Amino acid sequence: MRYEDIKELRSDRIKVITEDHILLNEIHDELMQSIVEIAVAEVKSELGSPPSRFAFFLMGSAGRFEQSFWSDQDHGIIYEKSNNENANYFIRLGKEISKGLSICDYDLCDGKVMASNPLWCKSIDEWERQVSGWLTEDSWQSLRNISILFDSRVLVGESDFLRVLKDIIFKRLDKEQNIIFRLLDNVGYVKKGIGFFGQLLPETNSKGKGHIHIKEKILFPYVNSVRLLAFKERIYLPSTLSRFNHLTAFYKDMKEYEETFHRILELRLHFQKRLNEDDNVNLISIEALSSNEKKEIKIMMKNGYKLFQKTKGIIQQRG
Amino acid sequence: MDPIYLMNNVFIIVCFTLVLLMQGGFILLEAGSTRMKNAGHIAGKTIFTVGVASIVFWAVGYGFIYGEGNAFIGLSDFFFGDFTSEVDGLAGSTDFMFQLAFAAIALTIAFGGFAERAKLTAYVVFAIAFSAIVYPVVAHWIWGDGWLADLGKQDFAGSTVVHLTGAMAALAATIILKPRIGKFNKDGSPNDLAGHNQVYTALGVLVLWVGWFGFNAGSTLGVDGAFFGYVALNTQLAAAAGAIAAMFIVWALSGKADIPTTLNGALAGLVAITASCAFVAPWAAVVIGVIGGLIVYASMKFFEKMQIDDPIFALSVHGIAGIWGTISTGFFATPELAAMNGGEAGLFYGGGLTQLGVQTIGVVSSGLFAFVLSFIILKVMVTIMGGIRVSEEEELIGLDMAEHGSYGYPENMPTEENKAPGA
Repeated sequence: MRYEDIKELRSDRIKVITEDHILLNEIHDELMQSIVEIAVAEVKSELGSPPSRFAFFLMGSAGRFEQSFWSDQDHGIIYEKSNNENANYFIRLGKEISKGLSICDYDLCDGKVMASNPLWCKSIDEWERQVSGWLTEDSWQSLRNISILFDSRVLVGESDFLRVLKDIIFKRLDKEQNIIFRLLDNVGYVKKGIGFFGQLLPETNSKGKGHIHIKEKILFPYVNSVRLLAFKERIYLPSTLSRFNHLTAFYKDMKEYEETFHRILELRLHFQKRLNEDDNVNLISIEALSSNEKKEIKIMMKNGYKLFQKTKGIIQQRG
Repeated sequence: MDPIYLMNNVFIIVCFTLVLLMQGGFILLEAGSTRMKNAGHIAGKTIFTVGVASIVFWAVGYGFIYGEGNAFIGLSDFFFGDFTSEVDGLAGSTDFMFQLAFAAIALTIAFGGFAERAKLTAYVVFAIAFSAIVYPVVAHWIWGDGWLADLGKQDFAGSTVVHLTGAMAALAATIILKPRIGKFNKDGSPNDLAGHNQVYTALGVLVLWVGWFGFNAGSTLGVDGAFFGYVALNTQLAAAAGAIAAMFIVWALSGKADIPTTLNGALAGLVAITASCAFVAPWAAVVIGVIGGLIVYASMKFFEKMQIDDPIFALSVHGIAGIWGTISTGFFATPELAAMNGGEAGLFYGGGLTQLGVQTIGVVSSGLFAFVLSFIILKVMVTIMGGIRVSEEEELIGLDMAEHGSYGYPENMPTEENKAPGA
């Protein structure tokens, strides 16, 4: 199979999906696995078999198992042994995978969170040092990298490699109370979607005029809250829904938020069906919304803010 | 109608506009001294908070200062609006306007401590609290019928009332807000978060310098006797001496004639002479300005060493120079001028330690009061508002975008915002 075949397969299969969020993400996983296999074969024909064990892992919306029809790529590689040969080999593989994903309509990541970038493609030793370094550096960007890395799961390769990195994060959280406050502040910029008079607030930039950014305004307060609580409760799982599942054991009213979150994912797919491929998938036109949809969106937003406030309270009180 | 009465009123209204225009000086000074991503915010919030200060001053501020009350606070003349009244030889409303402009200046100075990281809502709430309580109480003590006025405290145009009060609020704010991201390294060493436009800063200083003639000369409250010319003379000399002294000291100690320090020297000279302009000889004004220029540099270094972030140097320029200016009359007040404008002669004119003592009590009590009350207000705000500082991300993208939705310099800023975690 070639990348182009997968691209075709992708457009065929994805069209069929209606509003089943889980099925859609399973299909994404299968497609991406096939793409990685082709990439591995391609690099193998060029440079031989992989010189060491490795893990190719997903981050971002793919990592959280909440991709919509179109998503960009966020991924990295962890390989076993640190040497020049391995570094060159896996960067080459990272580039090949990025290229393959891009051919198959998974857009390149603007922030370069991709295995083709040496920052996200390292040996396990280097990764350990990098993660510890990020935590020690304690800058906005380095902690953002920790949050990005935390929403991760292995798609192809050694699943325990990633666990080692999450263990480092958890150990540091045990030792240093302050880090969780810093992680909270790192995502503390909640973009308001509802105005003083209860109206929906459209984006102000030229591209988004008259639209709501569904990801930033509706989804992120949930995703960020649940990630923070996952840090706190030492949950390894990356998907927001499975994190919710675990959190219900610790926090009673999580169930209610989980339901709303599930509904948001469905609604997003519902809106995205109306879009053309070139449209920004995260922007929904306010004009096109029915008054019931508007009402529902407002409730979703309000609950998201409430959840974030609640999370803030939990973290600040108990550290 | 008495032509002198009319002239006085015309003069003071002109001085009011000069003092109001000093806000333009602050806009340029603050915007120039901070980074590009906050320029629109820092300029725009000044206009907005002058609005808040004006309404609050009209409603309660003026009454708390000049109303009938006790030694601590005035308690009448709220919602000022009597067109028949006469105060200090001026129409009441003329006097009111002049006083209002001073209150707004004190507030803008206080906001120097908020720069580049406070939430917009924090500006709103603190503008109300400061204009309603902090400033009026100190102003009442010294300029109203307060206990420091009874002691004979000399503060002609407000080194203490306006500048020190503002600076103490700025100090409380900057301590509570903590330093801007990147100002200090983990080992405590400071970084220079350079302002984005020295030309703005210099123009800001010039606008302030010009406005200061309304501030100081206008504080004669009339044209009778034309004493304002003398006050203006002292003001000019001190500002000039401050600029020269500051440039000299920074050049002598660092080898470079740093521009922001020089500009702060001019301002320190102006702040220092504000209390003393009507009490001292011109040679003393030069000395007061020189010392102002020297201590402002020392103070800038001191606060940096203490790891207190003072983005617009409000603590040094208005605080330390304000203290020096107030105390300076205790040394330099001449017997003739003290007899004319209140209080006693200074130490160097055989007045002994009396006036120096009064000035010191005034500085300590007013400074402490303004600091403690501002600190309490801000702490309460932190609790109620869930913090008064923007999130780290907002601080990094700049308050222009985070709080106002557009950049002051749109062409120079990225159009795409920062990447969210794993977006």
